[in-house]
Amino acid sequence: MKNSPRFWTQPRPYWMAAAVFVVLCIVNAALQPTFLRFGVATSNIAAFLPMSLVAVGQTYVVLASDIDLSAGAIVSLVNVAVVSIIDGMGGSGASVALGLAVGLAAGLICGVVNGLCVAFLRFQPIVTTFATGIVFAGFALWILPQAGRQVPPAFYNAYAGTGLGVPTVIWILVAAIAFATVVARSRFYRALRATGGNMQAAYQTGVPVARVRLGAYTISGLFSALAGLALVGETASGDPLIGGALTLASVTAVVLGGTALSGCVGGVAGSILGAFILGLINNVIFFAQLPFEWQGLIQGLIILAALAGGVVMARGR
Amino acid sequence: MPVLEASGVRKQFGGVVALAGAEFALDAGEVHALIGSNGCGKSTLCKIIAGSAAADAGRLLLDGRPVSFPGPRQAAEAGIGVYYQELSLIPQMTVAENIYLGREPRTRAGMVDRDALRAMSLRALEQFGAVLGSGVQPESRVADLSADQAQLVEILKVLAANPRIIIFDEATAALDRHQVDAVFQRIRALKTQGRSMIFITHRMDEVLEIADRVTVMRNGATVLTRPTTETTRDILVTAMVGETAAAERRNRHHAPSETVALEADSLTSSKLNSVSFQLHCGEILGLGGLHGQGQSELLRALFGALPLRDGSIRVDGKPLDPKGPRAVMRHSIAYVAGDRARYGVMAIRPIFENLVIALLARRRRWTVARERLQSEISPFIERLKLKFSSLQASVSELSGGNQQKVVLGRWLATRPSVLLLDDPTKGIDIQTKEDLYATMDELCSQGVAILLHSSDDEELLAVADRVLVFNGGQIVAELRGEERTRFALYQAAYAAGRPVA
Repeated sequence: MKNSPRFWTQPRPYWMAAAVFVVLCIVNAALQPTFLRFGVATSNIAAFLPMSLVAVGQTYVVLASDIDLSAGAIVSLVNVAVVSIIDGMGGSGASVALGLAVGLAAGLICGVVNGLCVAFLRFQPIVTTFATGIVFAGFALWILPQAGRQVPPAFYNAYAGTGLGVPTVIWILVAAIAFATVVARSRFYRALRATGGNMQAAYQTGVPVARVRLGAYTISGLFSALAGLALVGETASGDPLIGGALTLASVTAVVLGGTALSGCVGGVAGSILGAFILGLINNVIFFAQLPFEWQGLIQGLIILAALAGGVVMARGR
Repeated sequence: MPVLEASGVRKQFGGVVALAGAEFALDAGEVHALIGSNGCGKSTLCKIIAGSAAADAGRLLLDGRPVSFPGPRQAAEAGIGVYYQELSLIPQMTVAENIYLGREPRTRAGMVDRDALRAMSLRALEQFGAVLGSGVQPESRVADLSADQAQLVEILKVLAANPRIIIFDEATAALDRHQVDAVFQRIRALKTQGRSMIFITHRMDEVLEIADRVTVMRNGATVLTRPTTETTRDILVTAMVGETAAAERRNRHHAPSETVALEADSLTSSKLNSVSFQLHCGEILGLGGLHGQGQSELLRALFGALPLRDGSIRVDGKPLDPKGPRAVMRHSIAYVAGDRARYGVMAIRPIFENLVIALLARRRRWTVARERLQSEISPFIERLKLKFSSLQASVSELSGGNQQKVVLGRWLATRPSVLLLDDPTKGIDIQTKEDLYATMDELCSQGVAILLHSSDDEELLAVADRVLVFNGGQIVAELRGEERTRFALYQAAYAAGRPVA
């Protein structure tokens, strides 16, 4: 029985996002002739990387039909915590190592807190992660009330530099994709999608639903932490408000990439494309030299058009 | 020694006693039918055995040792497999992913071995071979399968865990005869391997055909357990119904008028091939045949829920364009689906809301006059003998049969002149069925025209004045009067030359 109201749950494969991505690349290249140069491409990837990382983490949560509205706050918290530790300890090699470790641990703990509240205490995901997000953001402000402090040049030079001739940011992106590829072939991933598809059925089948949801939130926390570290490399300083906008942007990227908010359907590849689409839209707006007061309006309309394109194409199938 | 024994099991949900000291024993290599009307406690007993509910009191013995399962996972590890009536499949995942969910074969690196998964799924699907129908591949999405195919996949999923005790809860509900035969063949093979099965069904012929022993439950207690060879349909029905005599199957007599309530002319869609018929006022017209031959599709198309490619419909002599349920409703047509969970009840909403929703949609009022609506629906509540604690209780608290009454009552409240019933008695108990039949008789005497599809052939032949037999989306025979026999029905439904379903 194939009924009409199914398009919301239809798999919207990421090639739709890919099509939008290509169109935006062409428009961007037309407006900015240097767009295809390696250096410009690398700096674009560097600019899009934090949002891509948050979107990757968010994808796992959304696949389980949950949501993580604290992702941006985790980014901020990790960002200021890392900068404060490194700067506070004088920028030595040991301080950098400790900073990175504490940053990742902070993201992990935030993710576990979210997961415990949602999966084990059965709190409602939207409200819970909204609230924990406020807590994490408040914690970030307590650590560093105002943007500032600095990390040693070696840190941001390494981030802006290359390894084996390939820019560090590309390595990070490749590592994220490799991680996603491995996870996609794990039992955990099936259990995750089953949980998002029909939680009751998954439970009855013996899928450890609560542990799976906890796992997804933990991954999301870790990837938000990575995004926070990337922002340290990008900006070389700390900012307690830096991640705020990333939360809903990451959800938008996930949806643009074809992952259904109802869970089960979608994947990380689409979310990365979705994040790049959002980044390219910013570029296009910038290079089109639109008056400032028009930018938000146009940006919103382009995002809507990109979303509508995916829905219409899915309906046409 | 029985492999599984439940004794003195008690369970209460809120104030409702679901189990009042149930006794049940399952021997090795036995198929043990568990029957009883809905709400008799058999589902609750199975849930306790399967680890998805905890007993308040009583003992559960596995191989003579007391056990209690904190969750389905632990029960599965102990070798208990459950076929869930509402299925435990993930619609958006593939057949292969579903069958081996949580048990995926892994490579040495610990990753899911997709090649092995596919090969295993192909072998599993082969068990049912031709009766699965076309198009079921390891890569097929479960959402794209028909109801019968999904049921067979659920059976394969249960078997894939290699359980030694299997609970089949209405595992044959949507299957046609060939498919049931194939499932029974598997069950007999499992029996010879010493596996034990609890078989729950509302089809008495299946009980008598496959079960070694039968246990009847009533009001949360076990009332009868005996070998199938020492029992009869009447004994079992009497035990289920209690003091009341077993309901006698009778051909009902309605007096259809000459007036045509609904006329369909060459209706054609992806599942229908030039279907034409006339439905008279005060008549029950049955749609029969093997499962999935277009009966449901016809009803859904008439209600505007599925698109038609060609053909015309006249209601009361006036043309009807079935462009959507809302448009069709205005012609006093109502549709009740057997698949309540999917098309019927709003599970977490109060019974009251579930009862008045169609009335509200029909009236296009902005405000809800609660008192007036309540007095308007109360006659239907009485007529249907609906049992509930409060109109404000959520409808999910009701048994399946009572939920179905709510859905029917919702539509009766709109005083339809044409009633489309799509397998309305699917999975509900005998008493509720009788209530529904009585309601249908009463409606007919008031001149309402009823188009009834039923997967229960006996019911169809007993209730309908005429039966249209469907085969491959076409009407292949019309049975009326004395022709309404199983023989004639099967002859038409299993007519030579059609591909095996």
